[in-house]
Amino acid sequence: RLEDQTKKLHKDMKKSTEADLAMSKAAVKISADLLGNPLCEQDQAFLESMTALDTAMKRMDAFNQEKVNQIQKTVIDPLKKYSGVFPSLNMAVKRREQALQDYKRLQSKVEKYEEKEKTGPVMVKLHQAREELRPVREDFEAKNKQLLDEMPKFYQSRIDYFQPSFEALIRAQVVYFTEMYNIFSELTDQIDQAGLTDEQREKETEAKLSELRALSIVADD
Amino acid sequence: MEVPRRPQPSSFTLPLPKPASSALSPLGAADKKEPIKEKLQEGMEKDQFGEETFDTKDESVVSVFVEAPADTSELEDTISRLSSQDSFSDASSISEERLAEEAEEAKKKSEEEEAAAKERAAQRQLMAIEELVQSERNYLRLLQMSTVTIRSSLQKLQPPPANLDSMFLYIDDVIDVSSRLISLLDQKRVKPGDPLFLQTLCDSFLSLSSDIETAYREYLANYNNITVVENSYKQKEALWNEIVRIIKTSAPEVNATSLSFFLVMPVQRIARYPLLLQTIQKHTDKTHPEYSLLEQTAHTSIALNCRINEYKRFREVADKYKKTENLTIKDKINRLNTHSIAKKTARISQYIKHETGMATKLVDEEFDALEGFFYVLEHGILQLLDNVEIYLHHLQGFLACKTEEFDLDMDGEKEPICYKEITTALRQWILPTFEKRMRTLIHKPLCALRDLLVGPRNLIRKRLDKLLDYELICEKSNLNYDEQAVANTYRTINTLLLNELPQFNGLALQMIWSMLGTFSCLHKDLSSDMEQLFQSFAQQLPHSSLEPHAFWSWAESAVLEGARRLETLCRSVEDTFTGPVVQPLSPSSQRRLKQLTDKHGSGKIYQVMGTVVGSRDLDLNLAKGELVAVISEADSRGDKRRWLVDAGGRRGYAPASKLLRYHQPTEEPPPSPHLTLPDGVTGIRRHSYTPEGRPLTVVSQPCFQVIAAYDFTARGNHEVSVRAGEPVRVLEAHDKRGNPEWSLVEARGGQRGYVPSNYLTIMPMRTGPTGTF
Repeated sequence: RLEDQTKKLHKDMKKSTEADLAMSKAAVKISADLLGNPLCEQDQAFLESMTALDTAMKRMDAFNQEKVNQIQKTVIDPLKKYSGVFPSLNMAVKRREQALQDYKRLQSKVEKYEEKEKTGPVMVKLHQAREELRPVREDFEAKNKQLLDEMPKFYQSRIDYFQPSFEALIRAQVVYFTEMYNIFSELTDQIDQAGLTDEQREKETEAKLSELRALSIVADD
Repeated sequence: MEVPRRPQPSSFTLPLPKPASSALSPLGAADKKEPIKEKLQEGMEKDQFGEETFDTKDESVVSVFVEAPADTSELEDTISRLSSQDSFSDASSISEERLAEEAEEAKKKSEEEEAAAKERAAQRQLMAIEELVQSERNYLRLLQMSTVTIRSSLQKLQPPPANLDSMFLYIDDVIDVSSRLISLLDQKRVKPGDPLFLQTLCDSFLSLSSDIETAYREYLANYNNITVVENSYKQKEALWNEIVRIIKTSAPEVNATSLSFFLVMPVQRIARYPLLLQTIQKHTDKTHPEYSLLEQTAHTSIALNCRINEYKRFREVADKYKKTENLTIKDKINRLNTHSIAKKTARISQYIKHETGMATKLVDEEFDALEGFFYVLEHGILQLLDNVEIYLHHLQGFLACKTEEFDLDMDGEKEPICYKEITTALRQWILPTFEKRMRTLIHKPLCALRDLLVGPRNLIRKRLDKLLDYELICEKSNLNYDEQAVANTYRTINTLLLNELPQFNGLALQMIWSMLGTFSCLHKDLSSDMEQLFQSFAQQLPHSSLEPHAFWSWAESAVLEGARRLETLCRSVEDTFTGPVVQPLSPSSQRRLKQLTDKHGSGKIYQVMGTVVGSRDLDLNLAKGELVAVISEADSRGDKRRWLVDAGGRRGYAPASKLLRYHQPTEEPPPSPHLTLPDGVTGIRRHSYTPEGRPLTVVSQPCFQVIAAYDFTARGNHEVSVRAGEPVRVLEAHDKRGNPEWSLVEARGGQRGYVPSNYLTIMPMRTGPTGTF
């Protein structure tokens, strides 16, 4: 179960980082396109605003990239490695199963011989079977023991293993968002009217839209 | 158009109630005025279809009107008669005196007449003013009645008529403006007779003129729709009858038979204002103090009307062309007729002429600049919308990864809890709010803006078409009616676009600007929220106090260490488990081993890993665990997968995949001297698949010990008794005569003797010391 969860987590994290990057890129595209639009040539103030927006977006993207790299190193790769242990563990478990089978088989053989009458050839066979059994049993026991030892340790180790990952994840985001906040505060001061609530903004846009609609050249359906 | 238009003002003579005789006192005139006025009002508000009756009334009133000039002309006649008499009389003193008397009389009379005329004029003015006011009140009353009563009763009809509301669309504004005018007049509490009244009237009208213009403008532009809807009502007979019945019951005093009777009133009213005002002006003395004001008011009302008409025209043209028509191909084909084909071909030819430079183009730079800006704007808006949509799409993708839903069973630990809580918060409210805000504040307005672009785009295109038409005909000097219409259309569209495109462009640009500002503000809020959230949790983490640099180096080293640990774990697990189970060799196998080794050398001994069933000629059947010696690693045909093996007497082919190199214990020299191995029987088993060059840490070292498998009783002094399970040391694996059947062993007690070889067996023991290679 641990295995499944780690796999899932790994996949999710990968997807989310990808989406994050894509978002950032889309935002950059918005500003870059606008900057390229000939509108900017007409109006100097507009051009300045657009340039500011564009620079801000690009910086944000750079930070995002950095953040994603960090996360990649400290979280996603370890996750992958952790997942990689599972196949070997699984194989080990399988081998143990095999050993167990062999053991059981030989054990039953020995028991079969023991039940038979104790004649000479039977004794010989019994003895031989016992001899065969012994290494097998020891092998099985060894494997068993090792698995019993290792697996709990492995299970426990996940805590220590993942702790730094999570911390790093959180920390990286803190850094990123601090930077982003700074960037955007500057930008907003530059190109936006401060202190508007959402309703005010909505009202403004609505007012402008109705003004536009009142023009007779505009089709209003 | 079904609604009969009011007769043009030119053909309209305002019936002014005139006093029947000029000598009447004002009071008497007032008395006479009332009935006439009432009659007039009645006549005015008669149904449209009763226009004929109105006209007759008109005539009767006109006749009254005509009488008055007759009076004055009578007066003039007497004066002229007097003067003529004057000329005819001889210069006799008596006649002179009489003349003087008569002249004085005449002068007095003329003065009287003047005064009377003045009074008449004043009365007329008064009456005009009163008429204005009174008619306004009446008009308002009827309008209100129609709106409230008729509309509500129509609504109660089952089923209510379609598009009812669209008929009454702008009437509220009109009513509002009209009532405001009246209330302004009432406020001043001046009587119509008061000279101040005129001033009040003019002032209020002027102050309300812009509102009047707006209200009536919309109403008039919408009037076409009203008529269309009414026509649709008329199609349904039952409905129409109902409507007429309601009208008759609601307003019995006016003989109305259709809704448009009421609804056309604003149309008529706005045209009347100039007339009323002009009439007042006509009857006001130029020396009257308010004359200029009155004049101004009259002019304003005329200008109002002009503007309203122009607006109406613009709207008509715009409405015709601004919507995109979705015609099926069938419709388009139906539309083709010779006229349209001719039109289109002419346009195309003109267009080609432009492109090839054969004809000069009517270039309107201002328009082109506007048009260019518009297209740029359009492009920008569409692009922005696309980008925003992409952005939102990715945001949704991000939201879809639920990275907090994992359960590594670490719930006791701080960090995962923090992380989980953070991501849950993130997913549940921070990001959704961000998304919602983005949608409402940016995406939706952008979509609306994009939709609004359609109208101007169509109009611009249409203008181009009309321009092409216009150019074709503007060279002609004599335009017939159709061509004039075309020219007018072009000019109308052009003016309209020139007026309104700048506004559109400016507003759209502003909108984009503000939206970008909002965008950045949203991001700011988002980042501040996230920062706070993460920061609050980060405080709880153990390593939060570290400097960033130190933190990252710690994190990285921790990660590397973790990786290393994992690796060692992996490796150790692999080592233990990937070795095949060590099986002891049965004595027969031992013998076989010896035999094969002697024959072929130890390097060629292989063990069979699985049962081999031979399928072809010369293939061997081998059991698992059997030892064979490889003679050649390919068969006669060169197939490397079949090896020629010697199985102790039998020779044949066996698949190479089932053969595993068998390292004899005896052949490997003990690697280190401290291994206390009984002679030769121990060995080190090496894993058959080579590890990738890693230094092997073999976890455990199996050693071999020879043990007697069965009891054996010595029967002579050359033999030694051994018990089953007793470890012995083999000194020689054959007897003195080289017979491998007997082995010289040393038993526990130190006795030496011979024991049958097949009584001995080799057991792996895990108690030997380890060693490395």
